[in-house]
Amino acid sequence: MLEEFQRIGRDLFLSGLVSSHGGNMSVRMGDRVLITHRGSPLGQITAEGIVETGLYDNDSSIMLASSETPVHRTIYQQTAGLAIVHAHPKVAVALSLFEDEIIPIDNEGSYLLHKVPVISSEIASGTAMAGIVAESLQKYKITMVRGHGCFAIGQVLEEAWQWVSCLEESAMVIYYARTLGGQTKEFRKNADQYKKW
Amino acid sequence: MGCWVGKIARVNLTTGKVTVTDLPKEMAVSYLGGRGFGARILYDEVGPSVEPFSPENLLILATGPLNGSKAPSSSRFSVTTKSPLTGTIFDSNCGGKTGIKIKDAGYDVLIIEGKAAKPVWLMVDENGIKINDAANIWGQDVDITTDTLLGQVANPQSATVACIGPAGENLVRFAAIMDDKSRAVGRGGVGAVMGSKNLKAIVASGTSHESVVDQETLDFIVYEARKVLKQSPITSIGFPTYGTSSLVRVMDMMGAFPSYNFSESSFGYINDVSGETLREKIFVKQKACWGCPIGCKRVTKTKNGEGEGPEYESLWALGPECGIHDIEVIAEANYLCNRLGLDTMSAGVTIGCAMEMAQRGIVDSGVKFGDIPSLMKMIENIAYRRGFGDALAEGSRRFSEKYGVPEYAMQVKGMELPAYEPRAMGVQGLSFATSNRGGCHLRGNMLGPELLGVPKIVDHSGASGTVGLLIFHQHLSAAFDALGVCKFAGFAVSDEMLARMMTAITGIAFVPHDLHAAGERIWNLERLYNIREGFTSKDDTLPKRFTDEPLKSGAAKGRVVNLAPQMEEYYRYRGWSTTGIPGKEKLKLLGLEA
Repeated sequence: MLEEFQRIGRDLFLSGLVSSHGGNMSVRMGDRVLITHRGSPLGQITAEGIVETGLYDNDSSIMLASSETPVHRTIYQQTAGLAIVHAHPKVAVALSLFEDEIIPIDNEGSYLLHKVPVISSEIASGTAMAGIVAESLQKYKITMVRGHGCFAIGQVLEEAWQWVSCLEESAMVIYYARTLGGQTKEFRKNADQYKKW
Repeated sequence: MGCWVGKIARVNLTTGKVTVTDLPKEMAVSYLGGRGFGARILYDEVGPSVEPFSPENLLILATGPLNGSKAPSSSRFSVTTKSPLTGTIFDSNCGGKTGIKIKDAGYDVLIIEGKAAKPVWLMVDENGIKINDAANIWGQDVDITTDTLLGQVANPQSATVACIGPAGENLVRFAAIMDDKSRAVGRGGVGAVMGSKNLKAIVASGTSHESVVDQETLDFIVYEARKVLKQSPITSIGFPTYGTSSLVRVMDMMGAFPSYNFSESSFGYINDVSGETLREKIFVKQKACWGCPIGCKRVTKTKNGEGEGPEYESLWALGPECGIHDIEVIAEANYLCNRLGLDTMSAGVTIGCAMEMAQRGIVDSGVKFGDIPSLMKMIENIAYRRGFGDALAEGSRRFSEKYGVPEYAMQVKGMELPAYEPRAMGVQGLSFATSNRGGCHLRGNMLGPELLGVPKIVDHSGASGTVGLLIFHQHLSAAFDALGVCKFAGFAVSDEMLARMMTAITGIAFVPHDLHAAGERIWNLERLYNIREGFTSKDDTLPKRFTDEPLKSGAAKGRVVNLAPQMEEYYRYRGWSTTGIPGKEKLKLLGLEA
């Protein structure tokens, strides 16, 4: 499991989806949670950089765990996710400052994500944000917090990482398409339905 | 009630009385259907004092909420009972049309209780439920029974027949119920329970009454679901082209394909029994369950017969597990099991057990590895309980215990194992050991994450880290069984899509977590049932072969299942005690407190 955290953490950093000490990750093991240490650089995770804590109950490990542990716990309690990746994809963050939802226009993003909602919360780790992020992730595999970053869930870390990577690529395609200007040509049979996803 | 009809029918075969009650909405939302309904009803009504073959045992046919809908691969229904093979709560499910037709007739659940004084069959249609004399079909095989009954009903085109063969009549502990001749409600002896009630068949017929709240959204989600099925090579090429036997060579390459009663983890004649060989030598055409775009079924033809199958598990159990590599013989053994109403898997593994015991000089059972005539003869002898077949009809555990060598029975809680070598996989052995219905690959199969890379490939070296993922898959499997969806669709269609379909159909807001929560509720309720029956953590175990004997060759050479630490993690992660008992807090969370 440590190798999995290290592999995904390193790739998140190297692909620019988090800054040196940004983002966090966790895995649910039944009623227990393994989560990255607070302030842990995701590109350089060590054995001490992973903390085990309870899904429902607090323990002293909370002193070490990521400050967004309450968000992770709430997500696990309210969704089917087994792994969470929280990252700060730059283009998607920029888009979130303009949009209430990000609807991919590229094939991969349409196929895998359909739609990514954008929610607002000024506090990065509060109970209020935990609730709205978890509520959003009940219906979507990835959600954006406006001006902040994304939370993605999966069965394994790699799957959640894929949603983050896919979102950022879709955000970049939207950015490029808008920069190029003009009317895009549609290739999806049910393009108008994606907004309703 | 949207995708639920809202009715439960109860047939008492002792009195001949039929009653119909409303399906409680709370039960529908909490347990979804199929396996969930079966677990709830059996837990409430069949206690420890009830013997599996007694009239007080129930046979519960429960439909899924997606049965008959446009959701892909959603025709599966469940039969739940107390198993004569395992003594546990048991549900077996099947992709035949019986579930859809019971629903079309106007019922979500058909509960059968009591015992008829003489053999009978049931007609279930929109006019009600009628009990009929089965004197003319008792003793007949599945094909004759099915054809005879279809000849007797008014509208055979819209009717479906679920019946038992001689194996069920003779109370073979792994007798199946056969749906339209070749679809099996295969495992755990559900057919024997049906036989114990003197019930030969259920004929169901009706007209679809599908009700959808948001048709446009459902159509879009189904379109997207079919798109992912088309894009996955597993569901769009592998299974459609080679059937489930596409797994034969894949599993062998991984060193996870058992043979010779699990004494080997690969097979020397693998190319003789591969999906490719099946297609080249005996394939006639592809076939699909109702509403399934995958179409993994095979219609096959040999020199001596024609029929459906063999599927991966049947091919393995009646072939390499018994040291047999003639694809035509394997197919014919499969046809024979279907006609007699036998579970191919338990039949093959039990015969494989007898073969090993014979080879070791423990018993002169008359069967040995690779002996084709003995295999065919023994299948018949089991179904009719003739000679040694009578002892084998009790299943491998009872048979091996009779001779004091339980270690040669490849079973968990009495049910024979499937074609996945647990020593070559990370937590598949744990999956077998903790399955509530005994050794089974459908209660949280790790094939997807450990071998096929669905959703992503995970470590399958046996190292710690995937126990949590197994628990997730156990809950997801229970949800699939409750919804009535085939797990093969799950190689592409996500829980998210299924939840969206449920919402569109019912108008009730379902999210994936609701499906997993229902799965966990079902899993824990089944666990509580087994605990009440006297099962303990000591029953969460594997045959010694897997924990004590390192694999001699293949990709996983030298490995054993290190079960104890995995089990400790499993109980802890589940919120159970160290002896595997669900805690009060867990039960409260699931709405299962007493």
